[in-house]
Amino acid sequence: MSVLTLRLAGPLQSWGASARFTRRTTESAPTKSGVVGMLAAAAGIERGDDERLEPLAALRFGVRIDQPGTRVRDFHTAHHGVTGKSMPLSERFYLADAVFVAALEGDRTLLAALHAALRAPVYAPYLGRRSCPPALPIELALHASVTSLHQALQDEPWQAAPWYRRQRRRDATVSLAVLREADDHEHHADVLRDQPLSFAAEHRRHALRTVLSTTVEVPNPAAAPTRSAPRHDPFDALEEESARCS
Amino acid sequence: MFLTRFRVNTARPGARRLLFSPQVLHAAVMSSFPGLLPTDSSTPDAPRVLWRLDHNARAEVMLYIVSPARPDLTHLVEQAGWPAAAADPDTPGWQSKPYGPLLDRLAAGDTWAFRLTANPVHHIRRKDDEPRKRTAHLTPVHQMSWLLDRQERCGFRILEKPDSKRLLPGGITHMKQEHHGDRYELNVRDRRDLAFDKSREQKASKGRPVSLVTVTFDGRLEVIDPEALRRTLTQGLGRAKAYGCGLMTLAPLPVGR
Repeated sequence: MSVLTLRLAGPLQSWGASARFTRRTTESAPTKSGVVGMLAAAAGIERGDDERLEPLAALRFGVRIDQPGTRVRDFHTAHHGVTGKSMPLSERFYLADAVFVAALEGDRTLLAALHAALRAPVYAPYLGRRSCPPALPIELALHASVTSLHQALQDEPWQAAPWYRRQRRRDATVSLAVLREADDHEHHADVLRDQPLSFAAEHRRHALRTVLSTTVEVPNPAAAPTRSAPRHDPFDALEEESARCS
Repeated sequence: MFLTRFRVNTARPGARRLLFSPQVLHAAVMSSFPGLLPTDSSTPDAPRVLWRLDHNARAEVMLYIVSPARPDLTHLVEQAGWPAAAADPDTPGWQSKPYGPLLDRLAAGDTWAFRLTANPVHHIRRKDDEPRKRTAHLTPVHQMSWLLDRQERCGFRILEKPDSKRLLPGGITHMKQEHHGDRYELNVRDRRDLAFDKSREQKASKGRPVSLVTVTFDGRLEVIDPEALRRTLTQGLGRAKAYGCGLMTLAPLPVGR
């Protein structure tokens, strides 16, 4: 079993799972449909090609929140470029300054192909919305021999920005939230309508998938050595004195 | 002379009140001597009461007092100590030991580790026709030079590191000051900028707070002049002795260094 890990970092990201009509919300972490869609685009799979999408959608998905970012709201007043007619007013939500590590578990040859596709994408990848380009290369590593998705997310170094890591310099390790698909034996998971069935433009379809929320402990490379006062006890000099006298 | 150690129970409101203001703590320290009136003023060349707070860890704050008489810190234990634990005679709330044997034992050539909390200041004028004004040393380089300037007078010499352990070269700073790099076994840390009203009535102090900068020096020294060092240890070093500055204490050097 192999795991492909991706770094999703950019000034803005937007990952909608239930975004409809004029209120385009974002989840607090990347969605499976968003990441699978990005990989499918990189591999050159067309929108209506459900057969080629199926093996991608069958991958197990998990995401680690390395830097949660802040949620920003955009009051969107667009006008048509040619006619000048105003488009419907809408609210769009984004995550600013967030960094995530997404992981996909599955067949090794498929993941190797996707890893290669991200380096030479057919359609450029973006972070959930076309207007949100990634700030850093997306592909991190293809873990050929790890036991589980959870293990891969545990092994990946902390990807948060240096300024964010410095804020946590008092902690030698940081605890990061992981949202992943549950195993068969795990029953206490939430569900989200986020399992892509078809990205066809005329009829997008999504099924339910499980979301299990856990945490992993990751070392903090910016951790400062604890600087405590050197030991100094003036009574040591006196103890020595009394020991000599007795 | 007596050396006294008292651990402050930082969880108690009384401790917060004492640690909040050097003035309140000074009053508390001075009132622990039954034979001393608050109005007594010490003669310039006599041993005096010196105290210092050591913030060793977040919840380990030690109060050290060096004094000519044996203090009674019952009121501090009641306000900011562990009164129930102090009820047991085996664990009184503070420890007091005679300081004389150590002072008598000091001899030229001895090496000790020391700690000193001080208020390094100098007197400057910006223009020639201006009166000179007392000003705090603010950078570690200047604060170290302040102590290095006084070491001979105070009867000790700060040890120098062997060449193999020096990491910074010395030289001249851009302000044409001598910079000694890390030549000396000396550390400056824990700078505190204190500002408080001397009197509760605003009019008495004319609205001007007392402000001072204190730093803690840790280092190693060699005794040169035992008599002068005894004077330093019992009478204090530098200014602001009423506000927890000037008390230097010695401890044995760690073995194996």
